[in-house]
Amino acid sequence: MKRYAYYLSCINESMTKELDRSIDFWQKDLGLEFVKLHEGTCCGGSNLDYVSPKHFALVNARNIALAEKMGLDLIVSCNTCLMTIRTAKKKLDETPALKQEVNDILKQEGLEYRGTSEVRHLLWVLVDDVGLESIKAKVTVPLKNYRIAPFYGCHILRPSTVLGRDNPLAPSSLDQLIEALGGQTIPYEHKNRCCGFHTLLVAEEESLNVAAEALEEAINAKADFIVTPCPLCHTVLDGYQSKALKQANIDSSIPVFHISEMVGLALGYTAKQLGIKRHIVC
Amino acid sequence: MTETIDQHQEGKRDVTFRVFRFNPQVDSKPYFDDYTISAERGITVLRSLNYIKEHVDATLSFRAFCQAGICGSCSMRVNGISKLACTSQVWEELDKCREPGIIKVEPLRSMPMIKDLIVDMDPLVDKMKRYANWIESTMPLDEMGKKEFLVSEEEFHRYDKATDCILCASCVSECSILRANKEYVSPAVLLKSYRMNVDSRDSIHDIRLAELVKDHGVWDCTHCYRCQESCVKSIPIMEAIHAIREDALECRGPKDTSGAKHAEAFMEDIEKKGKLVEATLPIRTNGMIWTLRNLLPMAMKMIVKRRTPPPPPLVKSAKGIKIFRAMFREMTEHVKQDHQKSHKK
Repeated sequence: MKRYAYYLSCINESMTKELDRSIDFWQKDLGLEFVKLHEGTCCGGSNLDYVSPKHFALVNARNIALAEKMGLDLIVSCNTCLMTIRTAKKKLDETPALKQEVNDILKQEGLEYRGTSEVRHLLWVLVDDVGLESIKAKVTVPLKNYRIAPFYGCHILRPSTVLGRDNPLAPSSLDQLIEALGGQTIPYEHKNRCCGFHTLLVAEEESLNVAAEALEEAINAKADFIVTPCPLCHTVLDGYQSKALKQANIDSSIPVFHISEMVGLALGYTAKQLGIKRHIVC
Repeated sequence: MTETIDQHQEGKRDVTFRVFRFNPQVDSKPYFDDYTISAERGITVLRSLNYIKEHVDATLSFRAFCQAGICGSCSMRVNGISKLACTSQVWEELDKCREPGIIKVEPLRSMPMIKDLIVDMDPLVDKMKRYANWIESTMPLDEMGKKEFLVSEEEFHRYDKATDCILCASCVSECSILRANKEYVSPAVLLKSYRMNVDSRDSIHDIRLAELVKDHGVWDCTHCYRCQESCVKSIPIMEAIHAIREDALECRGPKDTSGAKHAEAFMEDIEKKGKLVEATLPIRTNGMIWTLRNLLPMAMKMIVKRRTPPPPPLVKSAKGIKIFRAMFREMTEHVKQDHQKSHKK
């Protein structure tokens, strides 16, 4: 059994609860144990870093230090949380004075940020640690009749100086996972583009235009569904889908799945168990 | 000697350039022309285009000048990515082709087309003017030329990387928001504004900042990092964008734009609960009327599907919130002290 500390993203505890719940169904099947980090706090969502760079460093040093205390790597299933925490880690590792300042405060809780735990995405654990062959061997319901559009989202790819796992211009990890589960990936130009999430409340029209382009391409390519490793992308592409498509005068729809749901389906769990019925577009 | 010639021969192959063509004076719509040439290893995309223009089709139009990655004139999309043709190696591009052996060459996106690979840079220049991206000197006119304008090394480092920008507009072409709305300020303009705003010789920081926080300004960036990733000079453009936001919050507070209010909400929630209170985020960002008008229909659907975020009292605080809060507040004291120190300076 491979053990990891599992970071609880705010959105997975509110709007996209089905993401974490579906992991609970299959983690043991794949020899994984995710220890939920209930003490962890919001990473700052790609905002705290400029509102207050020092609080941003403190909060995320603590998130990582909690995993380090258990001697485990920190696994994240939201792209923005991943990019944010990894950005903080890079800053702490490169700035000894900041690390010292933060550690002087973390002492109160008996914590120390050392930089020993890696911060990684759930998708990377599946592809790199479990491995594609092992996943293939566990598949009971291959997704062989499905044409799937892989939407990576931004913060699992960019900035590549912080992420570094996939080539941001030609990512492949999600495509590989889809194929290991028996599905067929479609050529998808928007696979490494943006969903528009981070400006939904600030520049809604622009955000919805961005989302509509990604949805339109998948619809035109006759994909059966889009799959994304990010709950924020999911929220836009599923929750805001009808609004985005209406703005773009497109009369159609397409379901959007989390990777945890796609894995669950291929391992034999039902759409109902996995919470797929809770999506706005089913 | 024979060996060298053989290696040279191996380093030569036929390559097809599928080039975007459009002359608005004659063509009703754009099309692609294929040019197949024998290309040597080491040749750049620009050298290939020059060869095509000289030997195959003199009507092909593109901009180029220095051929050395300095002037920024020859930016275009090669295999879908905005970059400089003069620093793009054909052999490396061959690995990235969607159709084997065919390199696709197109003009930059989000800019008006003039002809073939040439786009109109004027809208970008106009935005540079709108945001006053030059130094308006703090030195009185009569003192100019009489005394030095000293810049500390520390200050120089704040904009050193930003001055590497060669205005090639690759970031502009890759920007997600500009693609969605042509009014958006654009990354190159934000980078330049940042560079001017941190320069101690400049006197119009506040005026520039007031313009930057308006609609289609700095708060409309959606953090997609495409600008930074495509920058031909590897400038961390997002750091500049974030620095403008940090400056705007410090100088103007969160009151004047929804983007600033949205960002501040993260700080509040983390201190209070360690978790984001998503249910009230739209209200705190845009007010009740906007929220009801824009989000009510979607909220109804979410209620039906039981995926609405919990109301504030039901948002569980992170475990161990008391000690977290104490540490968070201690950091607030550190930040206050930092500010006092920097103001004294």
